Amino acid sequence: MSTSRDAILTRLRDNRPDPKAHPLPPVARLGDMDNGQARFENSLQILGGQVLERQEGDTLATAIARRFPDSKVICSAVPDFEGTIRIEELGTPQQAASVDVLVVRSPFGIAEMGSIYLSEAQLQDLNSAAHLTQHIVVILSAKNLTANMHTAYMDRPEFHTANYGVLMSGPSATADIQGVLIRGAQGVRTLSVWWED
Amino acid sequence: MKVKPVNHAKAAEAFIEDTAHMDFHDERLWDLRQKRDGQMHILPEWQELRARASAIKEHTLANLPEYLEQFEANAKKNGIHVHWAADGAEHNRIVGEILEKHGAKSLIKSKSMVTEECCMREYLEPRGVVVTETDLGERIQQLDNQMPSHIVVPAVHKLIPDVAKIFAEHYHTDPNDNSAQSLAWQQRLAARPVILSADAGMTGGNFVVAETGSFVVCTNEGNADLSATVPGLHIATIGIERLVPRMADMGVFIRLLSRSALGSPITQYTTHFRGPQKGSEMHVVLVDNGRSHRLGMEDFWTSLKCIRCGACMNTCPVYRRSGGLSYGAVYSGPIGAIIDPTFNERKYSTLPFASTMNGSCTNVCPVKINIHEQLYKWRRVLAEHHELPFVKREVMHMAGKLMGQPTLYRAAINGTEVALSTMPRFVLYNWLNPWGKHRELPHPVKQTFHSWYKQNRLKTKKKEGESA
Amino acid sequence: MKIGLFIPCYIDAFYPNAGIATLELLEKLGQDVEYPMNQTCCGQPMANSGCNKDAAAAEALFVKNFAKYDAIVMPSGSCTHHVRDNFDAIEQTDDVRHVRENTFELVEFLHDVLKVQDFPWAEFPHKVGLHNSCGTLRALRTASMSELGEPFFSKPMDLLGKVKGISFATPKRPDECCGFGGTFSVTEEAVSAKMGTDKVRDHHQAGAEYIVSADTSCMMHQQGCAERAGVPIRFIHIAEILNGARE
Repeated sequence: MSTSRDAILTRLRDNRPDPKAHPLPPVARLGDMDNGQARFENSLQILGGQVLERQEGDTLATAIARRFPDSKVICSAVPDFEGTIRIEELGTPQQAASVDVLVVRSPFGIAEMGSIYLSEAQLQDLNSAAHLTQHIVVILSAKNLTANMHTAYMDRPEFHTANYGVLMSGPSATADIQGVLIRGAQGVRTLSVWWED
Repeated sequence: MKVKPVNHAKAAEAFIEDTAHMDFHDERLWDLRQKRDGQMHILPEWQELRARASAIKEHTLANLPEYLEQFEANAKKNGIHVHWAADGAEHNRIVGEILEKHGAKSLIKSKSMVTEECCMREYLEPRGVVVTETDLGERIQQLDNQMPSHIVVPAVHKLIPDVAKIFAEHYHTDPNDNSAQSLAWQQRLAARPVILSADAGMTGGNFVVAETGSFVVCTNEGNADLSATVPGLHIATIGIERLVPRMADMGVFIRLLSRSALGSPITQYTTHFRGPQKGSEMHVVLVDNGRSHRLGMEDFWTSLKCIRCGACMNTCPVYRRSGGLSYGAVYSGPIGAIIDPTFNERKYSTLPFASTMNGSCTNVCPVKINIHEQLYKWRRVLAEHHELPFVKREVMHMAGKLMGQPTLYRAAINGTEVALSTMPRFVLYNWLNPWGKHRELPHPVKQTFHSWYKQNRLKTKKKEGESA
Repeated sequence: MKIGLFIPCYIDAFYPNAGIATLELLEKLGQDVEYPMNQTCCGQPMANSGCNKDAAAAEALFVKNFAKYDAIVMPSGSCTHHVRDNFDAIEQTDDVRHVRENTFELVEFLHDVLKVQDFPWAEFPHKVGLHNSCGTLRALRTASMSELGEPFFSKPMDLLGKVKGISFATPKRPDECCGFGGTFSVTEEAVSAKMGTDKVRDHHQAGAEYIVSADTSCMMHQQGCAERAGVPIRFIHIAEILNGARE
């Protein structure tokens, strides 16, 4: 439909270096293959995330109540936790701005980076909720940890299927003002992981 | 209209005179370089990652038309509208039309160097679209009406009081606020309502995956995610060189990007967009703007491998002491100096000379662009295209002639040997006078090496020969 | 082995002692050294300015002067880099190739070719800061580069380590460029001087009494900066120390 499209592609074909001289290297699994919980927690802490404290007899609800005592709107995106509102009840992306704490389950985490993955499948098609909420609590199983970025991209099918998939590695951060690191810039102010199992 | 070359030297001189800003700028970026080194030392596979990243990028560039077609087909299948823009003007027109069709009057956007290239804000604003940068550094620059001075940390040349002043003017906050924390909070408070009421969102794209029809955006503030997920319309503006073939290639690049840029293992947000979210529309504008031409430049095409990490800027001793704005271009620092002349040879003819060609940039580049060698080659191209200042060209021409004629050369040196209290005349052309502005001249000596050798070796050798 | 000695223009005119030390040192090590009297320049200033064609006459003369030697040795990293890596303003004849392949910077010649184990005459009871020029560091690779995270090595430090009484200061930014950069030193005067001043301060704060380098051009610039800024530090070419200079 576009003449620019054809013009660009033609120019690229005319100008490119010899493709035979530049073969594609095979995909490789490199780096540390430790997918343990300890490595994940260490990485998470480096990026400013935290593990939600679990005291004797705690449920997720009591742990959240202790960690976020002033929060009024606790939004659940998981079937096994109630909260004060369900994510499906938020009608528009903008309405997620009222949420104090979002509780969501992540299908996998990456030990190398302390990253957790979320897609529209976990966010019930309300992707904005992961960013407009003040705080996010992510339920994660240590069984679902992958070692590093190579294993994540090679083994996890979500990267090929989800329309929206975010790896969050700690909370929103910035160091744009005189190099001062600030956790909790424009997106979530804190990110906590709740271990299940 | 004859374009004047950017006067980097003059702008850099002004930057250096402001000691407080200059010292912070140098230390801050050097600290990023140190943090980057720290990450490198943790990973024994660092050099292998660089080699792979380079090979994947070179392969992709050599097969770019096929990968672009593959991306386009997959993206369309996923429900993305794909547009092609030959240059900045076409890009702006496309974006303007999409916004108009949706009746969108407010656009929130995350950082995108391509939109800077295209001068998109300048195009959209007179047409009634309010454009708001959501990255903190970029927003500071927008409010201050300046270009980003660094591709990763756009306001790195500013100190807290500068930001406080800008925010006071635009957000009516305390002009004496001296806390970065509190200023960042002001930005959050100011940005939220704009984000919630925006008609459209825009992001760039750090990587484009041909295999899946996806693009990947990396930020630390999460502002790209806000821009993309809150309004019902997402436009992504992406340079055509950003392709990688396979999703599995992303492992290599994500592991290198933030480590090279900021010395952090990964950006806080690494987001994979493969199609529109429910109830939303997604557009990708693929922008050429000179890239297809650059691909044909034998010595310079590998600059298209760049993943915009800014590591070359952080390590560059010249950049750290001159500031990004002194380059007078969208892209500053070493990578800017080899890219900018492809946009305008005359205007940016000075930039490849704003370097000592020390080579540190090449060593830190995660995709192994031979930046300092390209700087050297650009100098040749610019000289051949008569883009060197007249005086410099003449001095070099005369010096070149002199150096080919030993007798004349020796006479020039010896002219000073009589009274070596002054510099030899051939280095005393007016053009060289700035040497003494902040430096002493070399001390006079009694005798040149040449003369010493004649006296102490040739004569003795001759004597030995006579006595034998 | 017949050695041709190349003495760069600025050493000839301003730092003859570095040239004399180079010659005497090679002679002490039993080498047969000659200094061709008709030499001028290697062509680097013109080539680095982009004016490659203007480097042709200097390059041709260089080859004419040095083609007959088995090895060409020079106390300058940047000139060696030019001859070895960028010397292409003239046709690449057999003589040109011979010259390019057999040109050595002094440190690499002592370290790699002569493999000198001992400088019994050398003693330098001072704390020195070693300045590796970018030419020796990143082009000739006579020392490890911090950006690559490679195992530490340093040919100049290996040689200096054999000198009695010497000790080393450790600057904060050991491989940061000092800002000389040839014509950069005048066309970008402000940045160049700032870089040079920062460099000498870094060495001075690390406790160096002397800055020692294999490149006199860097030191000419640094000395100018140190003197103007009042940084009390002295400068010496590595050849002078290895040749037995005491101060």
